Amino acid sequence: MNSLVEFLSFTDPNVRYVAFGSVLLTASSAIVGSFTFLNKKSLVGDAIAHAVLPGICLGFLLAGTKNPVALIAGAFITGWISLVLVEFITTKTRIKEDTAIGLILSVFFGIGILMLTVIQKSGNAAQSGLDHFLFGKAAALTGNDLVTFGIVAIVLIAIVLVLFKEFSLLAFDKDYARSIGLPVKRIELILTSLIVLAVVIGIQAVGVVLMAAILITPAAAARFWTDKISVMFLLASLFGAISGLSGAFISYTAPAMPTGPWIVIVISTIAFISFFLAPRRGVISRFVRQANIRKTINDENVLKILYQLGEENQNFTIPRLPDEIISKRFYDTQVLVSILKRLHRHGYVDKNENRWALTEEGRNRAQRIVKIHRLWELYLTTYMHIAPDHVHEDADTIEHLLTPELEERLEQQLGYPKVDPHQSNIPYNN
Amino acid sequence: MNTALEIHDLTVAFDRKPVLWNIDLMIPQGQLVGVIGPNGAGKSTLIKAAMGILPLSSGYVRMFDKPLEDVRERISYVPQRESVDWDFPASVLDVVLMGRYAKLGLFKRPRKADKDVAMDCIKKVGMEGFINRQISQLSGGQQQRTFLARALAQQADLYFMDEPFAGVDAATEKAIVTLLREMTDQKKTVIVVHHDLQSVSQYFDWVVMLNTRLVAAGPTDTTFTAQNLEATYGGKLTLLTDVADLMHRENYPSREENIFKP
Repeated sequence: MNSLVEFLSFTDPNVRYVAFGSVLLTASSAIVGSFTFLNKKSLVGDAIAHAVLPGICLGFLLAGTKNPVALIAGAFITGWISLVLVEFITTKTRIKEDTAIGLILSVFFGIGILMLTVIQKSGNAAQSGLDHFLFGKAAALTGNDLVTFGIVAIVLIAIVLVLFKEFSLLAFDKDYARSIGLPVKRIELILTSLIVLAVVIGIQAVGVVLMAAILITPAAAARFWTDKISVMFLLASLFGAISGLSGAFISYTAPAMPTGPWIVIVISTIAFISFFLAPRRGVISRFVRQANIRKTINDENVLKILYQLGEENQNFTIPRLPDEIISKRFYDTQVLVSILKRLHRHGYVDKNENRWALTEEGRNRAQRIVKIHRLWELYLTTYMHIAPDHVHEDADTIEHLLTPELEERLEQQLGYPKVDPHQSNIPYNN
Repeated sequence: MNTALEIHDLTVAFDRKPVLWNIDLMIPQGQLVGVIGPNGAGKSTLIKAAMGILPLSSGYVRMFDKPLEDVRERISYVPQRESVDWDFPASVLDVVLMGRYAKLGLFKRPRKADKDVAMDCIKKVGMEGFINRQISQLSGGQQQRTFLARALAQQADLYFMDEPFAGVDAATEKAIVTLLREMTDQKKTVIVVHHDLQSVSQYFDWVVMLNTRLVAAGPTDTTFTAQNLEATYGGKLTLLTDVADLMHRENYPSREENIFKP
């Protein structure tokens, strides 16, 4: 706990650097990655991430030190080559994109690991720490490195802001973008370069193996919460920043621990929470909506049966035993009583001992259901020429769903008919 | 009559396989034009090639007697509704504002005036009740009207529309046709890829009948005849299809290189 307080107080300048750096790197990766997500190119991010490893080794071999500029340049070059190769393979051969990505990803990563091993065995003292690029080490973000990586991150964010309108249009409707004369090829080139750069700087914190997670997961999580693209990008960068900060904390308190896996665990947790809890799009919200629909259907079905029982002797307010309802449509008695109790609570039925009767409101609601059911049966037989014995199930669903507006259109189109295809009366108000 | 669109000896190939052969076409200004033909006839390909979205294997396209690049601001394109993912995080207003991007140019944000134009166009298509609705929450007809509003926001003189009536209810179709009529009354030219043969003579002044080659083009009264319909929908040119397939298999270029180009 002490270490958390110490970390969050930011008194140690080293902590400040590392925390600030990690947040900047992960947030900028998340922002650029959001466009990969919207373009449905999530796998491409993964391919680039793995393909930068040989570039880093190459940069190191040529510079002889872990000069950040050399490493970034090397990584940028091999990252780009991998993309060009994927493009080449998909257009010039019959191999599909997913196969091409898998192919390129493994080949480049294999070469990268090979080079890394050779460098490590070479006894070059300067190489120590190069392997941090595999799984990330936020704590290494200090001094010169931080300045270089930080500048790249800020440039990334600035370019995204300037070209936000163009990038979004391309992600939504590329043909239209071409039709208004946007330089689509050039804008795509810029976006791809940004993705490669985002990967290159992100791997310092996350590492090549898990880099795709920080590109894609924040955007995927953010999408659950909003339908506004600007809010989505803000949330994605916030989620990225939170995971980056927690990664930095882990790296600070447990220096032997690689940062990447921790960042991935945090961002994945955020994604899972979004997946379940987000309003409207989240799983729980969908589940609740479904449950409510089922409740409404059950309620209305019971009201309908009470109404139909009433029709038989032209009196809708006679109290009925549950067994009378069950004789019309099978229910477990317990379930039926719980539905009746709910209807009672809402004021649609009155209770007298063990008997239940429609209230005025209950009768109105039931009458509307019965009316829509019979109108829909008539619509299906008249306009769609469906046999009268096939229309009942359809109408059973539609009766709970129809909006008042559609109900009115249905009535008008059919001309307020008196009876349905089975010669049952269609009840109207007044 | 002034020409809105001239297509000269246009051939378009996908993967070496020609899908449009040597189209020659001229469309006068101020007409409501229907492009008709069976599935796979190359209707969408024709307008995409005209808009420069697809590369041409041969031929050229001129609009208002100028190359496309010189008059692009006067041309608007409405893609097929299914060509985009409607789950994109955008509202109706966001999409319609895209119609202003061509006038705005790179880097610039939409201004207040652009929003005014967008709102005006949204009203014209009767979508004012849905301005902030997320686009996946719209019905097919509403999505189509959103696309139409985006095209209107471009304030163009020549419109290409790829199946604007697909997935649209009867009332919306009627409203759209009325709107297109108003546009042609203001001397704008509207070219529409259309599927429903029933309504062709009722909607269009001019028809283009297509089946991988141009069967006929001209005023609807004289061109939309039983004979031309038979040629468009009936006679599949099997030999032509087989030759195209062969070019695809053998990787043959659809034009020899270094030939004279205008």
